[in-house]
Amino acid sequence: MTGKPRQPQEAAAPKKKKSKQPNSSRLATRVIQRRTLALLLVFGVGTFLALFGKAYDLTIVQHNQLQDGASSQQMRSTVISASRGSILDRNGVTLAVSASADTIFIDPNAIQKYADQLDKARAQKLVDGLKDGEKLPMSGQEYKDLLASRLSEILEIDPQKIYDNMAKTNWMYAKLKERVDKDVSDKVREFITDNETGASLQGVHLEADSKRYYPRSSLASHVIGFLDGDNQGAYGLEALYNEELEGTAGLTVTAKEAGGSEIMFQYEQYYDAEEGHTIVTTIDSTMQYYLERGLEDMTAEFGAKNGACGIMLDPKTGAIYAIASTPNYDLNSPREVYTERLKTQLAETDEENPPEEGSEHSDAYWTLLGQMQNLQWRNKAVNDGYEPGSTFKTLTLAMAVEEGVATLNSSYYCGGFLTIDTWDIHCSNKNGHGQQTLEEAVGHSCNPAFMKMALGVGSATFYDYLEQFGLFAPTGVDLQGEGTGVFTDRKTFCSHDIDLAVYSFGQRFNVTPIQLITAQAACINGGYLYQPYVVEKELDVDGNVVKQHDSTPVRQVVSEETSALVRECLEYVVSDGGGKNGQVTGYRIGGKTGTADKGDTGDVVVSFMCFAPADDPQVIMLLAMDTPARQDVTGVFVSGGNYVAPTASKIMADVLPYLGVSPQYSEDNQTAAEGTVPYVVGMTKDEAAEKLSSYGFASYRVIGDGETVTDQTPAGGAIVPTGAEIILYMGAEKSNELRTVPNVVGMSADEANRALVNAGLIMKATGSSGRGTRAISQSLASGTEVSAGTVVTVQMGAMTNIAD
Amino acid sequence: MARKKSRPINPRSGIPLTRDEYRQLKRQKEREDRRRRQEAWEAARGPMDMPFLILALMLLGIGLIMLLSASFPSAQSSANLKNDALYFFKRQGFFAVVGIGLTLAVSKINYERLRGLATLALYGSLGLLVLVVIPGPNKYGRLLALGENGAARWLGIPNTTFTFQPSEVAKLGIIIYFAESISRKKEKMKSFREGFLPHIIPLAAMVLLTLIEPHFSGAVLILGIGAAMMVVGGIHWGWIAFGAGGLGLGAYLLFFTEAIDNIFKAINYNASRLMVWRDPFGGDLEFRRSHAWQTIQSLYAIGSGGLLGVGLGKSRQKFGYLPEAQNDYIFAVVLEELGLVGGALIMVLFALLIIRGFWLAIHARDRFGSLLAVGVTTQIALQTFLNIAVVTNFMPSTGISLPFFSYGGTALLIQMVEVGIVLSVSRQIPAPKAR
Repeated sequence: MTGKPRQPQEAAAPKKKKSKQPNSSRLATRVIQRRTLALLLVFGVGTFLALFGKAYDLTIVQHNQLQDGASSQQMRSTVISASRGSILDRNGVTLAVSASADTIFIDPNAIQKYADQLDKARAQKLVDGLKDGEKLPMSGQEYKDLLASRLSEILEIDPQKIYDNMAKTNWMYAKLKERVDKDVSDKVREFITDNETGASLQGVHLEADSKRYYPRSSLASHVIGFLDGDNQGAYGLEALYNEELEGTAGLTVTAKEAGGSEIMFQYEQYYDAEEGHTIVTTIDSTMQYYLERGLEDMTAEFGAKNGACGIMLDPKTGAIYAIASTPNYDLNSPREVYTERLKTQLAETDEENPPEEGSEHSDAYWTLLGQMQNLQWRNKAVNDGYEPGSTFKTLTLAMAVEEGVATLNSSYYCGGFLTIDTWDIHCSNKNGHGQQTLEEAVGHSCNPAFMKMALGVGSATFYDYLEQFGLFAPTGVDLQGEGTGVFTDRKTFCSHDIDLAVYSFGQRFNVTPIQLITAQAACINGGYLYQPYVVEKELDVDGNVVKQHDSTPVRQVVSEETSALVRECLEYVVSDGGGKNGQVTGYRIGGKTGTADKGDTGDVVVSFMCFAPADDPQVIMLLAMDTPARQDVTGVFVSGGNYVAPTASKIMADVLPYLGVSPQYSEDNQTAAEGTVPYVVGMTKDEAAEKLSSYGFASYRVIGDGETVTDQTPAGGAIVPTGAEIILYMGAEKSNELRTVPNVVGMSADEANRALVNAGLIMKATGSSGRGTRAISQSLASGTEVSAGTVVTVQMGAMTNIAD
Repeated sequence: MARKKSRPINPRSGIPLTRDEYRQLKRQKEREDRRRRQEAWEAARGPMDMPFLILALMLLGIGLIMLLSASFPSAQSSANLKNDALYFFKRQGFFAVVGIGLTLAVSKINYERLRGLATLALYGSLGLLVLVVIPGPNKYGRLLALGENGAARWLGIPNTTFTFQPSEVAKLGIIIYFAESISRKKEKMKSFREGFLPHIIPLAAMVLLTLIEPHFSGAVLILGIGAAMMVVGGIHWGWIAFGAGGLGLGAYLLFFTEAIDNIFKAINYNASRLMVWRDPFGGDLEFRRSHAWQTIQSLYAIGSGGLLGVGLGKSRQKFGYLPEAQNDYIFAVVLEELGLVGGALIMVLFALLIIRGFWLAIHARDRFGSLLAVGVTTQIALQTFLNIAVVTNFMPSTGISLPFFSYGGTALLIQMVEVGIVLSVSRQIPAPKAR
């Protein structure tokens, strides 16, 4: 210990004192000094270094982690919820909208406490005795009974559920019913404040929430989709655009004491809520309705086992007007089975497999329900591929024309089959179509002719076209779960002709309906391939456009001229070929039928593609029906032309006037033209006749012998075919007798008209006309009683045994 | 009464002194006494050590400010304290002022006079400790002791609110007694019979009594102070090696094995504290709520501080999250509000005070003074280290207050008295002469 401080006394007089101070004393002092210095180092330096190290570790190294822990307990954040945006159709019709709703819950703990309090007060009163006119206070059980009975009544739930929840007395939150409508929650509010207890109810609460409404219930269900229990998009646009629709919830963050009250010095941070955006779709709810109605009817009529699907789009932009799939479902209760047929099937399951004691349904029921949910949620138009069959010939035709292999002057001989490599590939008409022009070949849907066209184009070029038409990749449509097609690889395809030959008439490969219609649209719209889409634009809460869909063509696949020729040929298919049932009176329709085998099962997919007007397409539609009933059930030859085209015609008959396409009536279908019946009551017979004829109504009948018209049928303002006979009552009493609709199915147009006129009704013929057409359906079922002058729409068509 | 006047006798020769001889002798004696008194008075009148005083006052001042900051939320929310936000601050401020007066007064007393108090200090301390542990009929199961939280550690003067912990008194008692006793033993301290036994017996008695209270942290402090003074006083190296070895083994077992945990579990004593210490965030919610709550809150507070802290007065953890924010866990609030930088500065002040205390011990005029300074400084050092170690979860938690910072009147007064004693020792250090 050199350099140690000297003992003070030594320092003062080192030599003199030496003798005075005993040796042992000096040694003891030195020991103390030395050892104190050691303590100094340990306690003055060592321990503090250790503590500093630990403090550094906590404040710097573990800073973030510990601060997060602290913040999570100190901070209270209040969510300012953003309201979910609406989904609109192209005309602003609301398809999905959120409204505030309340969730009703009880606080079982508080209810129990209050009940105990009541019991106590009651017991006290019993001891104290009642004053005059004083009522004994309610008991705890009576209070619970009151809650259970009244709430179960208002909320329409089982009272037992309320009792069960009230029994969980250590809970403070038990939901009774989620997202009830305002009228119900208002009743609950009223019950809370104004009830038999004479005071505010204890332990019943409402919680603000929001509920999604789909005003058009099942309309466009596969496009719109629905939300899950947490108000998050689960399916469809709701899921795909969840982020945009949802907006951003705002937050207020405040610091709180352990007890919960706010810390005295203000610590607050705000994050503004951003309201969800509104999605404007390209869907036209009217057209969607026509499509869905058509598909439902068709599915029911032909008992399509796997349902049907349809797409309607604007060939000039790719905007989807309507897209539907059956079976459908109700967006407001997506988990319930919607279609009657499936409902029955589900109910039968429970009968076959009785549910176990105490459970509501059997396991088989739940399994089937799950399958049915998946089935009804599936959008077959987008999700699934199918073998297109003859509707695909549109593409083959376009390629052949573009490549110069086929012209209007080309002629094709069909001997009933064509030998490719070593295979004889038959035409649908085994006897052959003989010599045909290009138009006729298309009209006949002649397989050998198309095989020849494809062979002319060549494997490699054909395969390039498939790619150009966008069939090898999903179209990129903004819908959920788009499927893709299945094709032979290029090398195999080009190594022989057999694939090329069968591809030419749409077999041995798969495409999705959306892929096919996109490619078909390119064939008839001037050659441009557009990406199909359903979301037109995104609006913010003030209606400003945040995002607008830009519909530019992906590429031009064929020339304008080719496209024009394709349209011409396809119009021939409907006017004179196998697609006659797709005719719509007064409109030029182009189309192509299709039937494709589903393997060797004997089941088929029948389909029909059509567009109108044929010279300047405004709309293109593809309908496909999977596994319809066979001929032995329906009595009708199974083909796209027989099964699907009539429905397409019906839909188009509604859609085209709706789109503002004006009908052009030729001489022979003049009777189909419509006019507004003028109001002629009070006129003389001659004046009335003149007025009627000026409105296009030539025939009229007079009943009675008065001077002036006292009544008329149909009434003024009604829109009826101009060929209809107007009945003028001249003083005679208009008969209020109901007329019975006769059965006209199977009759020719004239016969049907006569039958209906005789019954005092007016016929409106739609669909195809010409030789051999028969009424294939009527808008009012036979036997229906209606008033005189009612218009009955009769779908005309020819059920031929010609394959597509 | 008969007034028999016996003549003084020459002590050497036994011959009675003549009047003149007697007077001469008496005058000579009186002169010597006067000179000795004069010397002592002059020595005691030396300047006190300003660095030690200033460091102590700085810590006291900063401590008061932090006490105000840490205590006002709980004071304000306490209906018992009439929601007086300044309650703790005002009381502690009062004790601080009285304490400063005591410090200055004690520093003026010649510490050599404390030698006379040594026996009283020992038996008084022991007596008070015995009083605390006597079983009896009161609600804490004792005759006299008062308590809180299941530990009866306080004695009170009847009909007043004045209470104090005998263990606090015992710390001072052991310092004075050991300083006096050891300083007389010189090199005999090396021996077992005269150096070790006479000290270890009273020390063990005090520690045992404190443990019985039970007051674990108090026992640790008393043992630490006593042991440090014995070591410094010169006990045989073997004992030091033995103690250090035991300490090392204990530390090894605690830090690197779970042997101690298992023993604690086996005897069902405070095993949860060790579990908390090892992983405060482990265990289930119930564990974190009931056992680890305090430690977790302390770590949250310290971690929130970061480098520079959230700002003086702006701790959020003190708002009901951190229990005893004004007491044992005040340093967590310091680190939260002032950050690592502020906390380290305060630790430096403590370190300087402790270094100065030991420096004064080394330079003290005699062994008694040295040992007094060692005892007091060791107490401050141990309490500071253990408190901060507990707050930072460096060691398992036990209730030890932070000198000059934690709320507590008696403890503060005793600390200020001790500071005064060290200052008194410092007065008698002769100024070094220039060579």
